[in-house]
Amino acid sequence: MSSSDAKDEVVRVDFAFKRELAKKVEGDLANFCYQCGACVGDCPATRYSPAFNPREIMLKVLYGLESELLGPDSVLWQCTNCYGCHERCPQEVKPVEVIISLKNMLADRGLAPPAADKVIQTFMAQGRTVPANPAIDKQRAKFDLPPMGAVPMDEILALIGPEAEEESGS
Amino acid sequence: MKRYAFFPGCLIPARHPAMEFAIRSTLPKLGIEIVDLEGASCCPDPIYFKSKDKLDWLAVAARNLTLAEDLGLDIFTNCSGCTATLSETYHLLQDEELRDRVNRRLARVDREYRGTSRVRHIATLVRDEVGYDAVRESVERPLEGLKVAIHYGCHLLKPSRIMQVDNPDDPQVLERLIEALGATPVRHANWYLCCGKACDGEEIPNQMMHDLLATVHDEKADVLGMICPTCFGQFDHGQMKIAKLFDEDFHTPPIYYFQLLAFAQGVPYGKLGFERQRFKPVALQRYEEVAAK
Repeated sequence: MSSSDAKDEVVRVDFAFKRELAKKVEGDLANFCYQCGACVGDCPATRYSPAFNPREIMLKVLYGLESELLGPDSVLWQCTNCYGCHERCPQEVKPVEVIISLKNMLADRGLAPPAADKVIQTFMAQGRTVPANPAIDKQRAKFDLPPMGAVPMDEILALIGPEAEEESGS
Repeated sequence: MKRYAFFPGCLIPARHPAMEFAIRSTLPKLGIEIVDLEGASCCPDPIYFKSKDKLDWLAVAARNLTLAEDLGLDIFTNCSGCTATLSETYHLLQDEELRDRVNRRLARVDREYRGTSRVRHIATLVRDEVGYDAVRESVERPLEGLKVAIHYGCHLLKPSRIMQVDNPDDPQVLERLIEALGATPVRHANWYLCCGKACDGEEIPNQMMHDLLATVHDEKADVLGMICPTCFGQFDHGQMKIAKLFDEDFHTPPIYYFQLLAFAQGVPYGKLGFERQRFKPVALQRYEEVAAK
C-alpha cells in the first residue's frame, strides 16, 4: 500500500460533532466503547432490521460521522428502547442512552419523526402524553374514579428549556 | 396499613381506567394505603419526550418525585414506562453535578429535589412489602388450571442496575405473583422479546408482535399476563392488526395482572371492564360459574 492510498483511508474525526454530543446528558459515554459487540446479540431491532446495529452506531459516533447518523429518516428511530444493550455493555457505554442523546440532536435540528413530535406536542400542551377529556372522565366515572386532575402547566413549562433559566436567574 | 404515594401516569388513568380501578380495589386488601399525588404530570415518557431533550425530561421527572418527597412517602408506579423514567431519574440524580443542574431548573418553581423518595413498581411493592403468601391468602377464588403466559416487557427489568426489580435473564416476580392466584405461569419461547411499541415505523414492530404471539399461542395459554399498559395496547388492539396482516388467529387475550388479582379476590368479571378489550379473557368466566354453583 502506497503512502497516498493510506492517506485516503484516514478517517477524519469530526470533533465539533463529538463536542456537541458530549454536551447532552450521557452523550459522551460512547468514548468508552471498544467495539466488542455485546450490544448486538440481544438487540431486537438488529434481529428484525439489518440496517440497525448498535455497535456500528457507536463506531460512527467514535468517528463523528454526523451525516450517517443525523439525517432525516435516521435509522436511530428503529431502536426499540428495550435497554438490552444498556444491560449487556461491559463498558457501561449505555448505547441506548447515546442513541437518545443523538435523538436530542435530531430534535434540535427539527428532525424528530411525526410520531415523536405528536407526543412531545401533546405533553407541551397538557402535561400528559394521553390528554384528559370529558369522554375519558365519563369512562372513569363508570369505575367510580374521579376526573383526571389538571396539570399545573405554568410550573411544567417553566422547567423546560435553558432560555427561561436565564430569565428567571436575572 | 403501609402508606405509599401513587403515581398513575397517563396511559392507565386515561386509556385503561379498569386497571386503575383494579389497583385501588386490590391494594387495600393487601394492607397498602394509596395516597394520591396532587399536581403530577406525565412522568414524562421515556421514549419520545426523553428523545426531545434529556435535561428537560429529568427536570419534569424530578418535579414529580418532589411531590412524593413533600409528603415524606415512597412512590409506586403502575406502568413500566413511568417506572423507567422515575427510577432512572432517581439513579442519575445521585450524581451531584447533574442534580445541581436539575435543581437550578426546579428553583424556577421554588422546588428542590432531595432524593428522599424511593421509586417502586407496583409488582415489586407487592412482592417486597406484602409478600406472595399474603397475596395467596387474599384470594377468594383460586384460578386453578388457568394457564397464564408471561410477558414482562422491557422496562420493568432493564437496565437491572437502575430498575433493581429482578434478574433480567431469569425473572421470577410475575411467575410467583401468578402462582399466588392458584394459576399456572407459562414461559413461552419468545418471552424475552420486546413488544416493539417504541420502534418507529410499522414493519419491525409488526414482525416482533407476530413472532411473540406465535410462541404464546404454541403454549395454548388462556391469557397473556403482563404489567405494562403499553405492551397491553400492542397485544390487544395490535393483535387484531397482526391477525389480519398475517392471516393467523392467535386469539390470546392480554390481561393486566392487577385485574386478574382483583378477579381472584372476588370482584365480579362484569365489573372489571373486560368488555372494552378487543380480546376478552373469557376463560375467567368458568371460575365465576363454579363459585355460583
